[in-house]
Amino acid sequence: MPPATDNRAYKRSWKNLLINKRYQLQFTLFMVGLSTLLMIGLGIWVMKEANEATNVSLSSELGTNCGTIEVIDDTAPAVAAPAAPAQEPAVPMATDGSAAPAPSPAPAAGSAGSAAGSAGSAAGSGDVVTEHHVKVQIEESEMVPVAPPPPPPPKLRNDLLQQIADHWQCKLVTSTNIDKLHAGRDRILWVMILTGLLLVLGLAGFGIKMTHKVAGPLFKITLYLGKMRDGRLDKVYNLRKGDQLVEFYDHFKSAHAGVVANEKADIAAIKKVIESAEAAGLGARPAVAELRAMLARKEKSLE
Amino acid sequence: MSNAASPPAAAPKTGGAPPKYKRKLSNYLLDAKLQLRYVLFVTVLSAVIAGALGYMIYSQRHSASASIEHDLGMEFHTEMQDISQKLDADDRWLIYKMVGVGVGLVIILSAYLTIMTHKVAGPLYKVSMYFDRMADGKLGRVTPLRQGDMLQDFYQAFSDAHAGLRTRATADADKLAELVVKLKEPGGGDEGDYRGEAKSQLTAALDDLGKHVEQRKKQLA
Repeated sequence: MPPATDNRAYKRSWKNLLINKRYQLQFTLFMVGLSTLLMIGLGIWVMKEANEATNVSLSSELGTNCGTIEVIDDTAPAVAAPAAPAQEPAVPMATDGSAAPAPSPAPAAGSAGSAAGSAGSAAGSGDVVTEHHVKVQIEESEMVPVAPPPPPPPKLRNDLLQQIADHWQCKLVTSTNIDKLHAGRDRILWVMILTGLLLVLGLAGFGIKMTHKVAGPLFKITLYLGKMRDGRLDKVYNLRKGDQLVEFYDHFKSAHAGVVANEKADIAAIKKVIESAEAAGLGARPAVAELRAMLARKEKSLE
Repeated sequence: MSNAASPPAAAPKTGGAPPKYKRKLSNYLLDAKLQLRYVLFVTVLSAVIAGALGYMIYSQRHSASASIEHDLGMEFHTEMQDISQKLDADDRWLIYKMVGVGVGLVIILSAYLTIMTHKVAGPLYKVSMYFDRMADGKLGRVTPLRQGDMLQDFYQAFSDAHAGLRTRATADADKLAELVVKLKEPGGGDEGDYRGEAKSQLTAALDDLGKHVEQRKKQLA
């Protein structure tokens, strides 16, 4: 015999979550599939926008001019080199009477060789050059090679260290910004992926749990319907706490009560006939026996 | 379940092909409580996701705009205001697009869920109408579900149970009617006191049973 109370505490079990696979999976998978498609479409659009924005910012960062480091101070005056002996200009020597090609005009006077060269030159050119180019016959000559003076040491800029610091600071900032942009784009991608997974898993879990709250009562009603089909009109118990379809279940309980009421009305009418027949001495009739059998069956169906 | 405008399915009293009931837009929220619960949850979830993604893409785009603004500002001082306005307009347009996509997402999911839950709520509503008839003792014929409805297994179980009850009730009614006729027939070698008060009581009981059977047959029609 079932207990008198209308509540029987059946606990939910995860094994029973898919109590009506067809309905639950059809509902949930369709919802998950649609959400996945929407997320993929949204993700493609979002990543396109993110890539565009990132590329713009990257171009901007890569175009940042951090300047060049000027090591030498061009504006400062050259440092005076140590005094070098005056360099004698090379003078072609003529060993015979032929005229040597005229060298460039002699520099400032004061040099004996120069004056001599000028004289020689003037002599070689005939009448054109008379007094400024005097032909000089050098009997003996001595050439002393003189090493060119060493170049003056470069003058380093005074703010060289500051320049280096600023340059690399700029490069560092640019590099950091580029990394940040890449990280931002990657973050969007990962958030998209994680959000998509979360959405799919969340909707799957939600769908199964919610449909279970519908499928649970339906499963319970299906069991009762099976009994009703077989002619057993057991007591109907209440739903579990948290189940949905409470109103629908109330309709079912009313239907069940209606069927039970019909059976009880049948039983009452049959009993009355049997009792009357027995009182009239017709209890042995086969028709009364059939009524008794029907009565027994109907009474048993209500147990 | 009980808040729908009109019953979608009235069981025909005669046999033949079941009538086809078309879906109507006004009946899509047959069970508002059940359906809106799904819709509300998914709508909020979609709004949160779209909002989070929108915020991220907007911040990325806004930083790009700021970068462009900064670069161009060094070369185009005079046109800077126009450029800045254009970039702001672009950013705003992106927001509009994202809001549009978010609203579209919510609408699509909500519409889908309303349709899907309607495919569940529809059969439940139909069965609940039959349950109400059963509560009144009526066991008329059951028409099949519409094409595309869900819960076909459940409905099949209900149809089987309904058919079982109906078959048994019909058989019982026929049998009782037959037995009433037999018991009303006199004789048969009975030695009982078939006269007087007992007779009248039996006759009354048989009349009651006969009326009961007639009423039952009407309910089964």
